Amino acid sequence: MPSTRAHAGADFLNVSNLHAGYGQARVLQGLDLSVARGEVCAILGPNGAGKTTTLRALCGMVRGRGSVTLDGTELLGRSPEQAARLGVAHVPEGRGTFNDLTVEENLRVGAHLRTGPRRRGRAERAAVAADLERVHGYFPVLRRRSRQAAGSLSGGEQQMLAIGRALMLRPALLLLDEPSLGLAPLVTRELFEIVRAVNEEERTTVVVVEQNAQLALDIAHRAHVLEAGRLVLSGPAAQIREDGQVAEVYLGVSVRSRKAG
Amino acid sequence: MNNVTASLAADRTRQLRAAPTVLLAVAAVAAPFYFAPFQVFQLTMVLLYAVALAGLNLLVGFGGQISLGHGAFFAAGAYSTAVMLDRYDTGHLATLPVAAAGCFLLGLGFGVPALRLRGLYLALVTLSFAVFLPPLLKRLEPVTGGSMGLTVDKMQPPAWSGLAEDQWMYFVVLAVASAALLLARNLLRSRVGRALRAVRDNEGAAEVMGVRLSLHKTLAFAWSAMFAGVAGCLYTWVIGFVSPDSFSFVLSITLLAGLVVGGLASLYGPLLGAAFVMYVPSVSQDLSEAAPGVVFGLLIITVMFVAPTGLAGLPGRVLGAVGRRLPRTTAIPDRTPEAASAPDAEPRPTAAPGFSPTPAPADPAVADAEPVGAPPRTTEKE
Repeated sequence: MPSTRAHAGADFLNVSNLHAGYGQARVLQGLDLSVARGEVCAILGPNGAGKTTTLRALCGMVRGRGSVTLDGTELLGRSPEQAARLGVAHVPEGRGTFNDLTVEENLRVGAHLRTGPRRRGRAERAAVAADLERVHGYFPVLRRRSRQAAGSLSGGEQQMLAIGRALMLRPALLLLDEPSLGLAPLVTRELFEIVRAVNEEERTTVVVVEQNAQLALDIAHRAHVLEAGRLVLSGPAAQIREDGQVAEVYLGVSVRSRKAG
Repeated sequence: MNNVTASLAADRTRQLRAAPTVLLAVAAVAAPFYFAPFQVFQLTMVLLYAVALAGLNLLVGFGGQISLGHGAFFAAGAYSTAVMLDRYDTGHLATLPVAAAGCFLLGLGFGVPALRLRGLYLALVTLSFAVFLPPLLKRLEPVTGGSMGLTVDKMQPPAWSGLAEDQWMYFVVLAVASAALLLARNLLRSRVGRALRAVRDNEGAAEVMGVRLSLHKTLAFAWSAMFAGVAGCLYTWVIGFVSPDSFSFVLSITLLAGLVVGGLASLYGPLLGAAFVMYVPSVSQDLSEAAPGVVFGLLIITVMFVAPTGLAGLPGRVLGAVGRRLPRTTAIPDRTPEAASAPDAEPRPTAAPGFSPTPAPADPAVADAEPVGAPPRTTEKE
């Protein structure tokens, strides 16, 4: 049951008073939220609320002020590469696959940090091979497409590749930015089921930003609703889902009518 | 059973892919015995330029950066070799590692400003290296011999080989060039090469995967400069003379043009580009004594029009065009990704990881080629 695990342990990811933006545009204005270890957390909200910016601040792609700690370690002020070393794997919006590389090469870039010059041993290579197997297990299509250029995959396959690549990092924290963007509903549903499986089997903490609130709430343990760079609501996913009025006001969708129908 | 057929098919494609390389190797070894000395010299120069272009390909084709200053690294390799031979009498072979290492370090140094610049801005700054070097060489007369340049001994064939000078030189350059091209290939297939290509494809995504952008971009510059330096060293061995005017900024532009004409991010691109750079100016001289430059320029335009992916991409484009004109067995042209990925679909860049003409030749729906030098795609929004 989702709710039993939510807030079971100490907060794994802690965001407090986070300010971030692009040049003059201040997007986040003092955001506070926390995510427990092993939890799937959905960040919802209308366009321009700062959902993507939140993820980017977490992984170091945009600079922020305030404090973001992952398992007690401060993340702000680190480069994306350093954040990746701390186990933050970001699946950017629009997938960001390396289109001229093959599918397998894309996955191996995900293991880049684990195969450094000082880690050329057989054990490391075996571990990467095992992780390739693991990712292929979640996404069998990637095995079939292994030698194909990522640019020739369909949108859904590219999204799977982007998530698989992030998993190759063996992340402690997986950040998913709009995984449903531009995908068919059926593909999106499959993708979310896989994310749920990854979370359940590997206990990976997941933060997912989604426009499709219903889908995200289906797999999330907790949800946070952002508006204009601030947290306006947070709670167990089930509770947010039941609160039809909240959904209508902040998410622009009628969740209740779907539940009823 | 499926596995067996699959592996047999894989073996066959591997053999097919190896065939041109084997043929080329045989032809390369036989060539100096069939051609006149001047033609052998020309082939030697092609190989030598191919080394420089292979280096430039690492940076421009696979790294997505641009350099209009590679002539400067070429010159640095050539001059360091000439100075070592002239003043220190080191013997030819000792100059190669020094030129290579020196240019690697030089590239590392020049790679740092490249971190802050991209596209046209980087082109401009690298061009300034190329413009600035010849006057500098003239000023440093005590070392470089000033405008007069330096004349050094060419490499002589040992008695046991029984080869003429041009043949011996050819084989030496062939050996170094083969090693260099092999090194470039293996480099690209390594972890570093993969990271480099990932940075070219999508800088932001590579960075969040833990690829250190600054390190890999600078390394690309360094490796690339090293290859240019090796080519410069071979140049001094072959020509036996260096002067500032041999390395004007036009050399840098010619190198970049040669690479683009030959085919960016491909295995044979540097070789084809080197042949273009070597032979086309003399052909244009024959066509028009008054304006060989104009003919050379027009030929570049023609090649780029006929083969926008470079000469190396031409066979794939031709095969693709022929394939589309052949009668189809199915009534509806199948354009789904599944069909496109069928193992015996028309040749596409996906077949050979790492080493194939990057832009997809046939299918515009899949051709997601990135104009090189353009800033890489990012996932920016807002």
